[in-house]
Amino acid sequence: MNTHVKKIAQEKLDREPADLSRRSFLVGTAAAGLALGYSAVPGLLGADQALAAPAKFDPSVWYSIGPDGLVTVTCGKADMGQHIASTMAQIVSEELGSSWKDMRVQLASNDPKFNDPVLGAQITGGSWSTMMNFDAMSRAGAAGRIALTQAAATIMGVPAGELVVRDSTVSHPKSKKSMSFADIVKSGKITRTFTPDELKAIKLKTPDQYTMVGVSVPQLDIPPKSNGTAKYGIDVNVPGMVYGAVVTPPVRFGATVKSVDDSAAKKVPGFIKAVTLDDKTGSTTGWVVAVANTYANAKKAAGALKIAYDNGPNAKLSSESLLDEAKRLQKLDDSGQFFVKDGDTAAAFGTAAKVLEAEYTTSINIHAPLEPMNATAEFKGDILNIYSGNQFATRSGAIAAGAAGIDPKYVVMHQMWLGGGFGRRLDADMMVPAVQAAKAVGKPVKVIYSRENDMTMDYSRPLTFQKVKAGLDGDGKLIALNHDVVSAWPTQRWGIPDFLSPSVDKKGPLDAFTVNGADFFYSVPNHNVRAIKNEMAHNATPSGQLRSVAPGWTFWAVESMIDELAHAAGKDPAEYRISLLDGKGKNDGGAQRLRSTLLAAMGMAGYGTVKLPKGEGMGVACVSSQERATASWTACVAHVAVSPSGEVKVKKLTVATDVGMQVHPDNIRAQVEGAALWGLSLAMYEKATLKDGGIEQTNFDSYTPLRMSQVPEVAVNVIANGEKPTGVGEPAVTVIAPALGNAIFNACGARIRALPITAEAVKANMKA
Amino acid sequence: MPNLNINGRNMSVEAANDTPLLWVIREQLQMTGTKFGCGAGLCGACTIHVNGEAVRSCQTPVSEAVGKKITTIEGLSPKSDHPLQKAWIIEQVPQCGYCQSGQIMQAASLLSKNSNPTKEEVVAHMDGNLCRCMTYSRIQKAILRAAADMRTASSAGTERRPT
Repeated sequence: MNTHVKKIAQEKLDREPADLSRRSFLVGTAAAGLALGYSAVPGLLGADQALAAPAKFDPSVWYSIGPDGLVTVTCGKADMGQHIASTMAQIVSEELGSSWKDMRVQLASNDPKFNDPVLGAQITGGSWSTMMNFDAMSRAGAAGRIALTQAAATIMGVPAGELVVRDSTVSHPKSKKSMSFADIVKSGKITRTFTPDELKAIKLKTPDQYTMVGVSVPQLDIPPKSNGTAKYGIDVNVPGMVYGAVVTPPVRFGATVKSVDDSAAKKVPGFIKAVTLDDKTGSTTGWVVAVANTYANAKKAAGALKIAYDNGPNAKLSSESLLDEAKRLQKLDDSGQFFVKDGDTAAAFGTAAKVLEAEYTTSINIHAPLEPMNATAEFKGDILNIYSGNQFATRSGAIAAGAAGIDPKYVVMHQMWLGGGFGRRLDADMMVPAVQAAKAVGKPVKVIYSRENDMTMDYSRPLTFQKVKAGLDGDGKLIALNHDVVSAWPTQRWGIPDFLSPSVDKKGPLDAFTVNGADFFYSVPNHNVRAIKNEMAHNATPSGQLRSVAPGWTFWAVESMIDELAHAAGKDPAEYRISLLDGKGKNDGGAQRLRSTLLAAMGMAGYGTVKLPKGEGMGVACVSSQERATASWTACVAHVAVSPSGEVKVKKLTVATDVGMQVHPDNIRAQVEGAALWGLSLAMYEKATLKDGGIEQTNFDSYTPLRMSQVPEVAVNVIANGEKPTGVGEPAVTVIAPALGNAIFNACGARIRALPITAEAVKANMKA
Repeated sequence: MPNLNINGRNMSVEAANDTPLLWVIREQLQMTGTKFGCGAGLCGACTIHVNGEAVRSCQTPVSEAVGKKITTIEGLSPKSDHPLQKAWIIEQVPQCGYCQSGQIMQAASLLSKNSNPTKEEVVAHMDGNLCRCMTYSRIQKAILRAAADMRTASSAGTERRPT
């Protein structure tokens, strides 16, 4: 596993401290001393060429080509099922000219040279990966092709310009000579290197020349995921390793351990030690790890520990108290900071013919990836090795170091396949028990959360409260919108200033990951969006980034309200949206693409043309992505049937999405469908609640994601118009809830403003 | 010291009688294809076969498996070419993949008894297996494809073609 990477990481650590500065990939290569063509050094290992043979060609940090012709791409992104490693290989392969059967992938360590070329860190989220790595991987692939071609030209004695590269072979049609990539690497004649400027100057293929991008090649990670051989963090086996089971306190955050009585645990065979965490990273409070020779024994010992807690300042809080506090904060004129402040809403409301106000809420939601959180920590010499599937190696390595009390440069993160991420593995809490237990017992320790630990200690999607006030003129045109968003601030919690955004009213940085999406592409001349931090919720339920993050709640409010406005104006909600997507000013381009996408979804679903029976309805919603600059344009038509008792049956979800360019069409469909079903699951089936400071739901009997029997028909239409490729893992999550709410309204007249949607709420809001 | 018959081999393991079979398989026998998901029989990630029946190994004490034939994902097919595994690849089912061993083992127990399940029978049989990536429709398609392949293979094997 990852030995190549491990070695490099080790060498690099020996030589220089890790720094998080942004650097282009070939500079990174030079720093690591992997000069091109080092395999060619004559007499490297004496006369024994067989020993010299395994030398490789490393055109960039992102991949190497072995003497067997296999191209191994190192993926710096966390692969949690979005097949991003395979996608990176596909982009490299396009420009390199390699055959797909020769492509392999491995997962990068936390060495900064594997940092995202745009983000300058190792972080995976936001549906950013393909968009932000497409150019770098393309150039890496092209650089390799050029170097291979020039070497082949020298060997064949022909002009490089006459060579053709295809299927891992460089051929000269005129002389019918050809060499495989393997032959060229073995020749040791590759000498070409590239400066960053030379890389930038490479002329890449145009889309009409693509032969790999746009093809649904078999995903490289699927065979090992179909026979049990794919290794996840939980599967790691380090020699001499023991196991840790976590005991977490009754409250989500703020508890301290008063005493631990391990007398009963000591009777459990194999029990080694109970370790009370001393967590200076602020990731956990009041946790104890029971360490034993097996996980089953660790669990038994954990159950036998008698721990006394001080439950701390949040022990009396509930979902209701968090919501009450949110409402209190929203009413204050001076709370929060402005994310959007266009025009003068106060003045516009004064002239409005009609003013509507509505409150929208979403519950606490839990990530619950199927692989529970886990990490394995091993101290080896000066190095702390961490084995864990993680979405934010840059920060998680630093948290592991913090837990160990060492410099982050001594931490090597060994990336594994992620058994689901959805944003949960951006966080690093699992590092702390693994590291401190390993330190305490002097052995490598694998800590595995129970499902109960995983659910009650989730960095959850925060409970949100939103108040929207809208003004229409005499023609029903939207002239003013005030949108207040009150929530815990998931990203501020990380303590990384770069992830915060300046506020428009210069009241200090705000967490845009709570309001993204509210800066939509509709043209509204007077528009305020206020981000208000719910400090009580922030402290009691430290929140995280859950698949699609803020747009998961902001579009719930915006797209529900737009529907309410359309009805108030006596207009069709889809037509009303189209008129707001006029593409004026800053919305030019984006608005038109969203409009086209909405029309595509409407056409596919038969919106406005199909006559529906009583009790059925279709509803629309259209959304962009986390940031305006990273938008994928996504629209949904939901078709529901509502029974007189308020039960909602989702008959069909029709989703259209404009992704610019499709690297892997089948994968896009898989992601969009998965995202749409996530949206449905969050909209109707998933709800977590806080009581006495603790999350009440502990397992899949009380927190209940969508199961197979609840899957409706899902139709996906992907629009690829030749623009740059955009992300697909998230937008479809956010479009479903408002489309459902709007469909329910059209079916039975019940306007739902709280997620998840319940039969009781639908029944209670039905028009008599 | 219980003796287990697992994937056709007899193995002796060291574990207390009440140890969940899951952890014996994963830790002692180092067969990590069977996954831990919930520890309560609610998600199906740990599904294996005991005497051909799909069971949740997190809920099966090792003592209950003694003397029985245990099959894990590693033993489903010696070359990973069970019709379900082939169908899983053709339909490109897995996303994160974590639940898929359990899904495949659960599906295999259906197809061993019913080579021509309806979609409704598939859903009823699979509803206890969670997929957090929500690959459900592909799982369904792959099961129906594998069933069709198994029927074709068995009719090809038994029917005499006219010469």
